[in-house]
Amino acid sequence: MGKLRYFAALWAAKLSVPALKLTGHNGTNYPGELAIKICPDFLKYIGKPEKIIAVTGTNGKTTTCNMTVDILEKAGYRVLNNRFGSNINSGIATSLITGSTVFGKTKYKLAVFEVDERSSLKIYPYVKPDYILVTNLFRDSIMRNGHPQYIADFITRAVPKSSKLILNADDLIACNVAPENERVYFGIKQMDTDRVECINLINDMQICPVCQGRLKYDYLRYHHIGKARCPDCGFSSPAYTYAGDNIDIHNMTMVVREHDDSCEYKLVSDNIVNIYNMVSVIAILREFGMKHDDIRRYMSTVSIVNSRYNVTKQGDIRIIMHMAKEKNALAITRAFDYVISQPGKKELFLMMSCLNDEKHWSENTCWMYDCDFEFLDNDTVTRIIATGPRAKDYKLRLLLAGVPEEKICCVKDELEAVDSLSFEDIDNIYILHGVDSLDIANKVRDEVIRRVREAEKR
Amino acid sequence: MKIEILFPEICNLYGDLMNVKYLKKCCPGIELVATSLKDDPLFLTEKPDMIYMGTMTEASQELVIKKLRPYKDRIVQLIEENAIFLITGNALEVFGRAIENEDGTSIECLGLFDFTAKRRMMARYNSLYLGRFGNMDIVGFKSQFTFAYGADENKALFRTIRGDGMNRETKAEGIRVNNFMATYVIGPLVVLNPPFASYLLAVMGAECKELAFSKAAYDVYSTRIKEFSDPNRGFTY
Repeated sequence: MGKLRYFAALWAAKLSVPALKLTGHNGTNYPGELAIKICPDFLKYIGKPEKIIAVTGTNGKTTTCNMTVDILEKAGYRVLNNRFGSNINSGIATSLITGSTVFGKTKYKLAVFEVDERSSLKIYPYVKPDYILVTNLFRDSIMRNGHPQYIADFITRAVPKSSKLILNADDLIACNVAPENERVYFGIKQMDTDRVECINLINDMQICPVCQGRLKYDYLRYHHIGKARCPDCGFSSPAYTYAGDNIDIHNMTMVVREHDDSCEYKLVSDNIVNIYNMVSVIAILREFGMKHDDIRRYMSTVSIVNSRYNVTKQGDIRIIMHMAKEKNALAITRAFDYVISQPGKKELFLMMSCLNDEKHWSENTCWMYDCDFEFLDNDTVTRIIATGPRAKDYKLRLLLAGVPEEKICCVKDELEAVDSLSFEDIDNIYILHGVDSLDIANKVRDEVIRRVREAEKR
Repeated sequence: MKIEILFPEICNLYGDLMNVKYLKKCCPGIELVATSLKDDPLFLTEKPDMIYMGTMTEASQELVIKKLRPYKDRIVQLIEENAIFLITGNALEVFGRAIENEDGTSIECLGLFDFTAKRRMMARYNSLYLGRFGNMDIVGFKSQFTFAYGADENKALFRTIRGDGMNRETKAEGIRVNNFMATYVIGPLVVLNPPFASYLLAVMGAECKELAFSKAAYDVYSTRIKEFSDPNRGFTY
């Protein structure tokens, strides 16, 4: 019965693929959804490639997966992946369906899958990766993810015993998942910009996981990312198997050290988050068996598609759209940190409201009190325009963060908020938006550009 | 004037710590004293003007219970002496009888109040909250893996108007015994409810002419009451 149901599911899903193409619905999860609906353990039966690499974690999954796939393809491998689908069980199922024959036999020898952390329990019992990379584990949506230890426990319960783990040694939450599994670690050695004390509101690794003593950080990059040790019991962060070192932003290079070997790489981005992604990709590919020289050669030709950040120059003013995932205190803190690190005077639009929540209930704004709005109390930030349904909440939080009231404008309607720009002595206008507010943010950007042009004519 | 923050290194989820930071903004003379897991609590030797503890992970709950168990009699004494406690989110469960896991195992808590929390780690509950405290409206958010059962409904901190209380079958929310106040409502409860902030400062005897950012806080508060009172607005996520 199981097999019969499986074939019914497979063929129904296969038939749905051309139907979706004809109706212009490429890239949906529908085939996988349909297959799992007909046959709940569909993933158990569908053919899988010989070698499977999975990438999971809070941030960096998509970039890491895309870079890994791009490099492998440039090296001549055919790689099954879920780049154009989703990272939940139906997305993985859709990839496997499209990559299989009419009888469900896989046409690929290698797969790289991005896996949603919370979907682990629905995927790993059937799809057993040879390697699982955990990029990092941070606070995410309060409603969906609770706290990072909850997600770490989820992964620990789901990971197959046979999977080799590739873990971030600079993240003590991520590197403690599934302690019985074989593992290697990647990380980035001390940098000039590191600190020893945390300046963020969120720091989820303050006590020793062994004796609960206060951890000391030899270096701390942001939140709990860094190298820690416990003065009370001697516990410490694990040693790096693959270490990024000598990061040189000026010349855009870094060295990756591995045992007695090392190799210089060209940086594909100056953003530390993407440098972590690079080191993690190198770790995956070294574990897979590629040589440093080959990885370096192909990596130098890939680029990071940054759909979350784009710049328009109008006269002397740069207008920057910066996506900061709504309701995610950590993602928005990282965006604030980046904005204030950039040169020049800035006016900011804060419009990260979760518009979908506003339609149905009301956004849970607790994240604002985990997020470092304090970073915006900065001399280079000359005006902050709080807008959207939660404009008043932003204003209150900014005041609590120490931002002077005269710098804050609070206008609910996003397009009317453009009137609040001063255009006085500024170099940059940042529009910080979420996924839900992307459309209205684009309209705000267009209106800002129009106003800048008008101002230039005057 | 001192507010003792219990174990802020682990009891700090969902922006809860901003509750006491806001009280200090309102009354800069307040001293915030952070007690870590390896410290002796201040409340052993003094009666702080407020003792605060916020939301934590499930593993941290066990550490906190173990840490506070030897001080149970002192906590009872402080409650009887009208010491002010403000306890938010799942920190409330530490003071109940037990936390029951879905696999049948159970964690014994301090047992100061007669309720049991039941965890469902695969069924997170998310809701807006609208309730009453005396004659004031209370707004906030709930996001939790547990519900509590068996609490004395006459000792509720808030009376729920919309949303759920300690569990889906009751409108009684939280625990109030003398000045011990505990609620499942998470996050910046005090910031989002300026009348409640004023009440707490008054009970503490803090000299504070006006709340910090009073106009902005009341603006947010009245907007949220209006939103949460709208019967067409969904409440449970």
